[in-house]
Amino acid sequence: MDIMATTIINGILMGGVYGLTALGLTLIFGVMKVINFAHGSFLMAAMFVTYYLFQLTGIGPYLGLVITLPLLFAFGYYTQKLLIRPVFKIERDVREPISVLMLTAGLWIFMDAFALALFGAFYKTIKTPYKGAVLHLGDVIISLPRLYAFLTTVILAILFYLFLKKTRLGRAIRATGQDRDAARLMGINIDRIYNVAFGIGIAIVGVAGAVLMPFYYVHPVVGVVFDIRAFIIVVLGGLGSIPGALLGGIIIGVVESLVAQFITATWTEGIIYAIFISVLFLRPEGLFGFKAEW
Amino acid sequence: MEKGRTHAKTLKIGRITWITLIGAGILLVAPFFIQSPAFLQFMILILWYAYLTTSWNLVGGFAGVLPLGHATFAGIGAYTSSVLFIHYGLTPWVGMFAGALLAAIVGVIIGAPTFRLRGAYFALATIAICESLRVVLENMQKFLGFDINGARGILLPLKGHSPINYQFLDKRYFYYVILVMLAIIFYITYRIARSKLGYYLVAGGEEKEAAEALGINVAKCKLIAMAISTFFTALGGTFYMQLVHYIYPRGIVSLDLSFEIAFIAIIGGRGTLLGPIVGAVLLVPAAELTRTYLGGSYEGVHLMLYGAVLMAVMLFKPRGIVEPLETFYRWALRKFSLQPVMQTDRGV
Amino acid sequence: MKKIATSFMLILAFGFVLMMWGTSARALAADVVIGNILPLSGPVAPIGKVGREIREMAVEEINAAGGIKSMGGAKLKMIYADSRGDPKVAMTEAERLITKNKVACITGAYQSAVTYPSTEVAERYKVPYLVPVSVRDAITERGFKYTFRVAAKASWYARDQINFIKVLGERTGLRPKKLAFVFENTDWGTSTAEGWRPLAKEAGFEVVLDEPYPANAPDLTPVVLKIKRAKPDFILFVSYIADATLLMNTIAEHEVDVMGMISSGGGHSDPKFIPNTGKNSLYHFDACEWEADLNRPGLKETNAKFKERYGYNISPEAANVYASMYVLKDALERAGSADPEKLRDALAKANYAKGPGMIVPYEKISFDESGQNPQAQLVVVQIRQMPDGSIERCTIYPWAVGRAGYEPIYPIPSWKWRKANGRAE
Repeated sequence: MDIMATTIINGILMGGVYGLTALGLTLIFGVMKVINFAHGSFLMAAMFVTYYLFQLTGIGPYLGLVITLPLLFAFGYYTQKLLIRPVFKIERDVREPISVLMLTAGLWIFMDAFALALFGAFYKTIKTPYKGAVLHLGDVIISLPRLYAFLTTVILAILFYLFLKKTRLGRAIRATGQDRDAARLMGINIDRIYNVAFGIGIAIVGVAGAVLMPFYYVHPVVGVVFDIRAFIIVVLGGLGSIPGALLGGIIIGVVESLVAQFITATWTEGIIYAIFISVLFLRPEGLFGFKAEW
Repeated sequence: MEKGRTHAKTLKIGRITWITLIGAGILLVAPFFIQSPAFLQFMILILWYAYLTTSWNLVGGFAGVLPLGHATFAGIGAYTSSVLFIHYGLTPWVGMFAGALLAAIVGVIIGAPTFRLRGAYFALATIAICESLRVVLENMQKFLGFDINGARGILLPLKGHSPINYQFLDKRYFYYVILVMLAIIFYITYRIARSKLGYYLVAGGEEKEAAEALGINVAKCKLIAMAISTFFTALGGTFYMQLVHYIYPRGIVSLDLSFEIAFIAIIGGRGTLLGPIVGAVLLVPAAELTRTYLGGSYEGVHLMLYGAVLMAVMLFKPRGIVEPLETFYRWALRKFSLQPVMQTDRGV
Repeated sequence: MKKIATSFMLILAFGFVLMMWGTSARALAADVVIGNILPLSGPVAPIGKVGREIREMAVEEINAAGGIKSMGGAKLKMIYADSRGDPKVAMTEAERLITKNKVACITGAYQSAVTYPSTEVAERYKVPYLVPVSVRDAITERGFKYTFRVAAKASWYARDQINFIKVLGERTGLRPKKLAFVFENTDWGTSTAEGWRPLAKEAGFEVVLDEPYPANAPDLTPVVLKIKRAKPDFILFVSYIADATLLMNTIAEHEVDVMGMISSGGGHSDPKFIPNTGKNSLYHFDACEWEADLNRPGLKETNAKFKERYGYNISPEAANVYASMYVLKDALERAGSADPEKLRDALAKANYAKGPGMIVPYEKISFDESGQNPQAQLVVVQIRQMPDGSIERCTIYPWAVGRAGYEPIYPIPSWKWRKANGRAE
């Protein structure tokens, strides 16, 4: 019985991390309607930054966020500004802008290959003092690094929610997401908002990368698997919804854990996709989204 | 335009047509002059991708949606014909139609609900379906009583040179098979583009509500396009198995292949007649060459180039490169006075 | 119609450019060209990297020592092709190496799923294909004449692993009764597991878990928890490096207590496995075909040289490659020619027992009718802590070749004890 409890708890913790990656994506997808196929690659980049920061200076992933966050923000900001925006402009009036999608796919291929050439093929891990540390609650074992990751996710989600609701910038972002033209008429600089939103989305991914390193490994193609889950969670939770991303992540995490217990882990991807497809057809707005006009 | 057409019919065959016929002729006899089997294989691969992308184009180009999981149908084709061959000795020439029919049915079943989804969601749904099929295949040793070996895949029992069993020792046969297949799908695309179905598809893709207001059953049109597209994609899957003798889930029902097909068609120019083919002719060699010359020495460099090309095209010519290529070609012709300055519709 | 013609022209123009590429120059007549198919990119790129490094070192040595003397000192020239871990890419590459580069022989391709179909290509073209590492049984069970495998078969791994567990129990009187199979779900893992099942049954073990898993799963905790729930005495693994690392660290986290664990090389013998798992990997058994502490002439020096150049020990897979390179050289010497047919015949008669390449624990390397090296045998190592604190793989079994002074530690101490006594991370 305690194994079941451990399984579910682990699913929730891991789901939090998935939700964290989805958080950045839901902002980007929700506000700009951009499918960012390179999302996983940004995660990988964040993990490498965290890795090298630790290896070279000994600064831990959490402390290192003071460096990682601005770095990833800039990365996202300029990617949007220099790469995505030009493509976007051409397709401003096209209903379904697939060029951006293709662009981000090209970016994904490029970044992963670049990482391979730059960092090499070996799988790398870091050894923080709390690596492998566990908490014993009776017979239930909870992994501390994952717990920290989860708490970080929750805190970040709350902060982000407040940011969007209470600050001017946050409201501007939401307005742009709801109705681009109306927002422009209200005097909002759409381009700048897009740049900032993308930057924030990637900065959040930066946090995800940082909290993963203590218990995971980094490798040039590590991002793909998380990327897929992020998309599924975004749809599951509802486009642009923060509680949706978090809850969606937890659901996916728990499903993952349970599938392995009751069938085998080789079916996990399949089941997750099945959930995804069901949501798409039965409730496309997701758990917390609303029927979008776009 | 009508006037130009009848006028053209009475003209002698123009220079352009001669060049075209010569070109087609070269393609037809090329295999007899190519000594290197690797090069022939290379040509076959180009034609195969051109074939797949042209089939994809019916849905991804004309119907205006973005299917990113089309390899699913290649997989259905390959697995069906192979399983029927191994279990019943049914020649893949027949088995491939069974696979194609199955793929068409599956395509329609998937298409019906999926076409209702908006662009990005549609793309994601096709990805999910492709991956789901892969997972299912990897986890099953048997499917409906047939051995499919899960993740380890199927190896085709080799019969040497056996044309009746769609097996050839000489690659040239494969070259001609795929050339014929390409010609067929090209012709079908050509006819559809000029038919009512084609116009309805384009209208439905661009302004769905307006088209429906005019009484066009957009959904039905899309499904027809889907059925044709998946039918032919499956035939391409069987071809692949016969060429390579080995399939396994991740090798054919893969996102990699699905994405490649979409990329090539888009870079070439989706929705155009020749875009996918031009895309294949330019990108497949580019990928092969970079992998050959750079893949062995610097890890991943060939992939970097591929990604960079993709980004560059999307940044500068998102409609695809067929148009600018044509413009450039016509400019070059004019420059070298191979054509009169006036663009009258001479020749066919 | 004009548009069609236009684009047609472009295609043809391009085609002519390609034609010229199609007829390219041959390699220097003096060199013997060898093609090598490896996963240089993709998820198992680390293996491809090491595979390439060891080949480079071996070939450098061979060339420096005078190359192939019977061919007037011809040097070995290596061409590397990236399989990306993808069988269809490997098949294309094999064909290219054979028909365009006119290689005398191909070596590769590490992953069984990749080696299996690419050897078929070589067979069709009648070019020898030397397989140093891939273990899927069927690779040498097809009646092929041009495929030569140096490594042991997957079923031999299975046989030796089950046998070791039995022997361990007999030696100490503590017999494990319940086994858990945990394996990655591609060719390699599935084939090995297939070997385990009948042997386990025969030996009277109870299989409490038979669990395939996807090697690149983001979280393997569910699998580990399932193992914990099944309460096995002994776990058998087949894993690549990413999953091996995750599994080991997660097993430590969740304190899964067993009597012993044994794996099948691959990820568990990757140079990064011990660095990434640290003390968590202590007491783990691994079945492989080589280890740095075997008693073989020249082994220590060769390993030291490799370590100095590349920063880590030779892995068991790399050892097989090293030996294979020398077997190839020996065959070339006897063939006196780079003609694939002659080389094939020379390889068939191989009888390599002494020489710089013989760092592997086999009696000798030769190939039977099916192309298999019947002398391939496994050793079992255990990961142990040295007096100076470093962690190493120690050969334990067969008892006769085990490292002096190191008895197997069995059963594994509990995680509680380990964490309290600094034997875990």
